[in-house]
Amino acid sequence: MSATPPAAAQVVSASLRASRIGLGITAALALAALPLLTSSSYYIHLAALIAIYSVLLLGLDIVVGYTGEVSLGHAALFGVGSYTVGVLVFQLSWPVWAALPAAIAVTAVFGVALALPALRVTGPYLAMVTLAFGTIVQILINEMDFLTNGALGISLRKPEFFGHRLNATEYYYFVVVVLGVTVLVVNRILKSHLGRAFEALRDSPIASDCMAVSVYRYKVYAFVISAALAGLAGGLFTYSEEYISPNTYSIELAIQFLLAVIMGGRKTRSGPILGAIIIVMLPNLLSDLELFRRLAVGVTVLVGVYGAFALAKQKRTLRQLAPPVALLVGLSVFSFVIDDITDYRLTIFGLMILLVIYYLPDGIVGFVRNTIGQLHPNWVQRHEVIEATGDAERTWQATAAGSAAGAATSDCVLKVDGVLMQFGGLTALNRVEMNVMRHTVHGLIGPNGSGKSTMMNVLTGIYKPTGGSITFEGQPLAGRTSAQIAAAGVARTFQNVQLFGEMTVIENVLVGLHHTFRSNIVDVMLHTPRYTREERDARARAAGILSFVGLAAFANEEARNLPYGKQRLLEIGRALALDPQLILLDEPAAGLAAPDIAELVGIMRKIREHGITVILIEHHMDVVMEICDRVSVLDFGNKIAEGAPADIQANPKVVEAYLGGVAEMEELGDGAGGGR
Amino acid sequence: MEIFTQLAVSGIALGMIYAVIAFGYQLTFATSRTLNFGQGEALMLGALTGLTIAGHIGYWLMIPVVMVFGAAQGYVVERLGVAPAIKTKSEFGWIMSTIALGIIFRNTAENIWGKDDLKFPSPLSASPMKVLGVNVLPMEILVVVGAVAMMLAVEFFNRRSIYGKAVVATSNDRDAAGLMGINTGVVISFSYALSSLTAALAGVLVAPLTLTGASMGAVLGLKAFAVAIIGGLNSGLGVIVGGLILGIAETTTGYYLSTGYKDVPGLLLLLVVLAIKPSGLFGKLAIKKV
Repeated sequence: MSATPPAAAQVVSASLRASRIGLGITAALALAALPLLTSSSYYIHLAALIAIYSVLLLGLDIVVGYTGEVSLGHAALFGVGSYTVGVLVFQLSWPVWAALPAAIAVTAVFGVALALPALRVTGPYLAMVTLAFGTIVQILINEMDFLTNGALGISLRKPEFFGHRLNATEYYYFVVVVLGVTVLVVNRILKSHLGRAFEALRDSPIASDCMAVSVYRYKVYAFVISAALAGLAGGLFTYSEEYISPNTYSIELAIQFLLAVIMGGRKTRSGPILGAIIIVMLPNLLSDLELFRRLAVGVTVLVGVYGAFALAKQKRTLRQLAPPVALLVGLSVFSFVIDDITDYRLTIFGLMILLVIYYLPDGIVGFVRNTIGQLHPNWVQRHEVIEATGDAERTWQATAAGSAAGAATSDCVLKVDGVLMQFGGLTALNRVEMNVMRHTVHGLIGPNGSGKSTMMNVLTGIYKPTGGSITFEGQPLAGRTSAQIAAAGVARTFQNVQLFGEMTVIENVLVGLHHTFRSNIVDVMLHTPRYTREERDARARAAGILSFVGLAAFANEEARNLPYGKQRLLEIGRALALDPQLILLDEPAAGLAAPDIAELVGIMRKIREHGITVILIEHHMDVVMEICDRVSVLDFGNKIAEGAPADIQANPKVVEAYLGGVAEMEELGDGAGGGR
Repeated sequence: MEIFTQLAVSGIALGMIYAVIAFGYQLTFATSRTLNFGQGEALMLGALTGLTIAGHIGYWLMIPVVMVFGAAQGYVVERLGVAPAIKTKSEFGWIMSTIALGIIFRNTAENIWGKDDLKFPSPLSASPMKVLGVNVLPMEILVVVGAVAMMLAVEFFNRRSIYGKAVVATSNDRDAAGLMGINTGVVISFSYALSSLTAALAGVLVAPLTLTGASMGAVLGLKAFAVAIIGGLNSGLGVIVGGLILGIAETTTGYYLSTGYKDVPGLLLLLVVLAIKPSGLFGKLAIKKV
């Protein structure tokens, strides 16, 4: 891929875009023609149902595919939307143009109420809470019969537009239009800074927080957007069915939704739609034993042939292939043993989930794309190719202004005052004092385990210090989250590289530029001038930053495919995108070859020239001695020395900390300074 | 007041069942940071198997057999559903696969024992005793004693035996335990076996008090989730207190408001606790290392 010249890449991407648009038009035409092909109201109704489920699943994919959380409450949210429309129409005779937006709004509010508590901690909490929510909603719908008519359900009719009541076919067209708009809107959201935030927080939550993209906040956003779409789908469902009752919105439906998203293919638009087709057709499938037998055998033969092919080409081993093939053979045999399929419907359903989870993790769309990608790499485009070019002037724009303002306040950017950090009985930082002066490179050195990285984590809010205070630009940092500290102007890199591996290089930098966006979700949905301007500016700046760190040629590569040294440079670039006053570099030279180190020193110099203060943790003493204006030395959590590099080099305490013992320190002084 | 005391006493027995199931969640969460979303089904399978076996050999002899059955069932869940997901570090994987296995177990149980609820004959007298003016069923006392004994036995095992130390070590730091020569895979399998064992035992304890059927597990499993979160996923005391809170909240709501609403306060409490103290009432928040 990297060998492809940019021009060729552009041609490929243009032709891909054209083919994609072509595909979209074909799909739209096929959908429009459907009612002409069949007059059966049953199939029109099924098609409308597929479109309705697709709306919900496109939303669910934002939560499941992008943020990586599991929601078992989407059936309940679907029910909330459904009943909002049901109750408003049944009790208050609201028109469709008011009832559907109300369904979206009410469901979004429920989404907020669920997401705010459940996403505060990482772990399986959202799945557990949404499961509980599903039960509450079913109970409430059943019990609040003064509103919902309880178990009897609500009957109503298709919506009216301008005095004309839609028939089934017209309503189908209406739903297809809504689906079309949903696809467009979801696409826009996911391609915007919001979508990048969703993707980033899954790849590396810590790095997201340190790029001022609050993981918590954006997970909640994602869930609420997803809930709103579930509400819309629920409202459409009510009109489509013309009768709703509580039993529809069961946990089983929620699990079907999840199956649909993963079976279709996560992080795609086509996957959820394919998934919707599968789960709508599934009950029909599982009611006809003969059809099920044929399908089971068919899929088994298909997988068997693929397995034989993969085995012959040595792409898979027998060990890898045996379990799924054995399972499928078992399923086929099973289909001939049973004589009534309805009793085993759930078992088959469960087996499908297991098969998909372990043998089709990217879904059908993902599998097809991977297979095509192996044969024709150019046909598959995983990421949007961003061709922006930057200019050197704009690379630094906000920083210059910021530092001018900062210079007026004081010379001390960061004041660390008596910081104490204890993990249980272990004291990692023992009342450390440190003042970092503006426009300097402040070195922080010390043997392994001396507390340097702990200091970084305390400064960026990842650890809450046990005692002491930290003041940045005159403001105390106590009680602020990592994202708030980052937004205030403290950027960092990580000792163990924390890139957003599945995103491209330029997208990584764009996540760092997230703070430059003022656009809200409405701007994104409508592509207002404000949003398009901000996106264009951000891309230009990202390109400029990549040129600065020497990664312009790799802009559209996935970050995880970069060599290690380049990954470290990308981290620095991403940190610069934050327009920081202070940048913390945690062992940037670790694992770098000598020429790369020279390049790195050059970059650090330029960073300082542009008015950004640097704290540098480094084990390469030559680098420290060359670039640092001042050096602090930590040992076992205590600051043992501070001063100009030359003084530190000669300091007997430092030599002792590094080499142990006090003997012959005169001779060893140079050795410690030399570094390795 | 008398009615309230009566409700509280029934709530305690119910709450202890929730506590045992929640304790099962804790066991696996400690070693592998995963939970069995089919825990309720493990309880249901234990109860139904117990019902069948008790018909042949009696209630008391049946208990150890059901415990062995439960352990085996938990092992199967771990091998089929959890181990592959742990290998690929996929949270989505283990959640979905334990749910899928739960569905399969429930469906299988429906096909073996039917969809209707069955009556589990009580091994003890079904007539209530008067204790301090309150009616108490002997079975309720057995539930509380059995639940507490079960949890104490596991605690004792963890603290006193070398195998228990391996479990505790794995809970504290799986990677470090692995480097010290502990086969953490086996420890995780063991924790799943133990977890399902406690669930199966809870099943045969609670079955005489409620009805037994393929669908009994879902709601119990869910309530236990609420208990585990309310009490804290890593606090033994937490699940007991959480279980009691939920059990009593349920019986009192059922009486004073409506039986239809009895599941609501516990689940709302779950949201409130998460909003105020996400690590649970008694839980400690782990510090994430960078």
